[in-house]
Amino acid sequence: MTDTNINRRQFLGGALGVAAGAGALAACGSPDSGTATSTAPSTAPSTSRPPIASEPGKMSLLDWAGYEAAGTKAQTAGMTVAGSDYIKKYGPDSVTYTYIENDDQALQKATASGGFDIMHPCFENFQDYVDRDLVQPWDLNLIPSAADIDPGLLAKGTKDGKTYMLPWDWGYGSLTYRTDHVDAADATGWELAWNPKYAGRISLWGGASTNFEIAAIKAGIQDMDHLTADQLETCKQDLIKQKPLNKFYWDSEYGQMQPAIKSGTVWIAYSWQDTLVSMKSAGVPVAYLDPSQGRIAWFCGFMLGKDTQNYYHAHEYVESFLNKAACAQMTNAYAYGTSNSKVTSADITDKALAASLHIDDLAALTGPTVHLQSWNPDRAKVLAAWQQVKAS
Amino acid sequence: MSRSTSRRIGGQGLWVWPPVAFVLVLVVVPLVYIALFSVGLRSNIPGTKTAFDLSNWKDFLFGENNPFRNLFWHSLLITVLVSVAVTIAAYPLAYFLSFVARKNRYTLLLLVLAPFFTSFLLRVIAWQIILNENGVVNSFLWWAHLRPQGDSVTWLIYSNFSVALVLFYSWIPFVALPMFVVMENMDRRLLEAAEDLGASRFTSFLKVTLPLSIPGIIAGFVFVLIPTTGEFITPLLVGGPESQLFGNQIQSFFSDSPDWNYGSVLAMTLILLVLILMLVFGRFLSADLRRPAAEVS
Amino acid sequence: MTGRLGSSLLWIYFVLMVAFLFLPLAVLVLFAFNSGTTPTLPIQGFTTKWFTDAFSNTDLTSALLRSAAIGVLASVVATALGIMAAIGLNAKRVPGEPVAIGALLLPLVVPYISLAVGMLILLQALHFKNALWEIALGHAVIALPFALLVILPRLRSLDGSLNEAARDLGASDFAAFRLVTFPLLLPALLSSFIICFSTSFDEFAIASFLYPSGQPTYPVFLYGGARSPAILPQLIAIGTLVIAISLLIVGLSELGRRWAERRIEGRTSASVDVSSADTLATT
Repeated sequence: MTDTNINRRQFLGGALGVAAGAGALAACGSPDSGTATSTAPSTAPSTSRPPIASEPGKMSLLDWAGYEAAGTKAQTAGMTVAGSDYIKKYGPDSVTYTYIENDDQALQKATASGGFDIMHPCFENFQDYVDRDLVQPWDLNLIPSAADIDPGLLAKGTKDGKTYMLPWDWGYGSLTYRTDHVDAADATGWELAWNPKYAGRISLWGGASTNFEIAAIKAGIQDMDHLTADQLETCKQDLIKQKPLNKFYWDSEYGQMQPAIKSGTVWIAYSWQDTLVSMKSAGVPVAYLDPSQGRIAWFCGFMLGKDTQNYYHAHEYVESFLNKAACAQMTNAYAYGTSNSKVTSADITDKALAASLHIDDLAALTGPTVHLQSWNPDRAKVLAAWQQVKAS
Repeated sequence: MSRSTSRRIGGQGLWVWPPVAFVLVLVVVPLVYIALFSVGLRSNIPGTKTAFDLSNWKDFLFGENNPFRNLFWHSLLITVLVSVAVTIAAYPLAYFLSFVARKNRYTLLLLVLAPFFTSFLLRVIAWQIILNENGVVNSFLWWAHLRPQGDSVTWLIYSNFSVALVLFYSWIPFVALPMFVVMENMDRRLLEAAEDLGASRFTSFLKVTLPLSIPGIIAGFVFVLIPTTGEFITPLLVGGPESQLFGNQIQSFFSDSPDWNYGSVLAMTLILLVLILMLVFGRFLSADLRRPAAEVS
Repeated sequence: MTGRLGSSLLWIYFVLMVAFLFLPLAVLVLFAFNSGTTPTLPIQGFTTKWFTDAFSNTDLTSALLRSAAIGVLASVVATALGIMAAIGLNAKRVPGEPVAIGALLLPLVVPYISLAVGMLILLQALHFKNALWEIALGHAVIALPFALLVILPRLRSLDGSLNEAARDLGASDFAAFRLVTFPLLLPALLSSFIICFSTSFDEFAIASFLYPSGQPTYPVFLYGGARSPAILPQLIAIGTLVIAISLLIVGLSELGRRWAERRIEGRTSASVDVSSADTLATT
């Protein structure tokens, strides 16, 4: 047996020799792909575009779980209107979804794997998608309901006169907590997630930039998306301190975070207000924190993939989400706000909830008591700091 | 094997090169790219200026209290501890198969190995089901009124314990195998001689069997050490924020962060670690690829 | 050699260990048929609902099909390359043998996570979009050493005189391989195929980085669903089937190996010479 062993020097010598050879090859042979940017013109004249009948019709979407077009997923039970026009016409198999776990990962995914027909990122990454040349402008003439989008929001999705993002949904980020386990006296502000009393019962989101925003708001930093080096360091240290208190950083809202709150595994979790709605309807005693330092606010919208072969399909798809009926039902199902200015408080069924969350009032999104997640020019630094938090 | 075979097939040595080229393209070139990324010669962000730059390596190796380096040592420690535990636990299994269960040993060996042939991911998920806060163990405790309903043993999952337990579980069969092979090849006459000379069973085990099985023990240890250094699935499924391993950090760098250059430093570190382990332990790993010694001459 | 007490203790240890090793598998089987919606005790009742649900979940079934297709492609490529490498290494003179061996065994030791990110950055540098065939090639390369380690010993154990006889009877190199060596290698090729397929079918690291959007492989889907109580019972049901099939294959291949060995020993001694010579004569 021993005499047929591979001699380790032989093995390593061979392996290293091979590696060195290939290194030389890669170093001189390959084009400088790292620095080369593909600068193909992205604005093909619309006349050269094939008509809708010639498009493949199978669309791949990068979207948040729960936003699947009606009838394609069981968990959309609450939201049946949005997308239904499209699905009725093209069938539930005409769309496949890749889920966004968090904003940063979605951007990575869109950059690395690409090929999405439609993406649903949030405003904070609007500029990244445009700068990285992942998207192309929408043709608003093909989307009747685009006229109903709040002009202020639509302007935020527009750059150089071209509309890249069609805002659809808006809401808050805060902590949902179990009122049967958490003392009301402790539920004052973001420091609840740092309370050692609840160690192992807390779950922040795996979303790197959001966690830094939380730490920044908690520290009283005014501009959570423009941190100085010192502020970044402070936030990082604070998040490192908070890390052991988490059961886990959740990355799937319906799959992981909501079931954990329901089962009592987690008592305090970062969430959006839809969690409040679904926990209440499941009879779980929860409240949605109104932190003394203010909630996080966000809005998200549809972006059109740069290389989509389903240009007209994509426009029809978003119209089936942007129309008033779809927007009204989304607001009722998730207690999110909508970009559709035709939806009024008369359309909202739970008036008390609407009043407490101001979801019928777009001004709440940019009001003084909330922090709208916006583009961070130093996002790379934030993400690098987040890696350090995870490693610590 | 007859000499004529070798002569006849002799001109066919070149056949080895297409598969080697395949490995070159799909393994070695990617590794070279990792190396280039780690020293800043390539970047994943379009338009970034690339230049030879060792700052990431310097930060990782010498940066004061660098969290990634700390995590590396922490992970290595966990990996070594798990490997030691697995080796200790697997030894009696191999010994049992080789010395006690003589007659049915191959059938019983297959029984030990069988779970190893089933999906690794499924087995980890099964452990998740067992250890969950409302999982099998906890719900059993409630059902049997050993603990009040809803009061779960929390350290069972999302902890260092759960990660270590699942890693331990996963590798036992695999480690028992090389030990068993070494024991099977042991010269039994030595043991008989020892006992003839009046050594007690325990003494003959201690003085003969154990020393002779050392190559198998080391091989088993390395069999688990090498693959677990890069392990990331287990902590992902049953680990909490405080029990993630070095492999998870690599995964995290490449899926959540744009800084693939720093991530490449970590990926490269892992590769170097494995190569060093091979350098140290390689001689204990038998792989029957060279021509039988008789023919080499 | 071991006292009675020692033997009994070792028996107990063995039984406990086997129980420990099979525990997770047993848990999966148990909950695959449990009518409760969560995998918790006590057991609620018997149902086959989860299997029906699973097979009507097109996301799950298409992930399974995807992985099966990738597995077939990967194992065909790996086995074919494994044959080539084995023939090459079996030759008397192999130019650059140490380098060749080093390269061929390299995929065994390179951590999959490093390999996965390496492939990711390479493909991105070459401006390739994620695709299933990339995963298949990645799986083929990690399976290649297994193919080689299964095929080469078998090739070495073959009696070369058969090959020689075939050529003396006028067969070309290729014909001799096709008519003599290949049939004798078949059991090893089958083993290789099975090992490569199961390696690919269970592989997560490479697949998780390279799968195209909306087209997860089975392990990627499994990972995503593992934390989602809603579909967990379905995953358990399918997982039980996958495990049952693996165990069946392990059992069958062991039986098959014994059978083939007996058969080949018989044939190579006498009958095979005649029958292959006959076959060759008719060619």
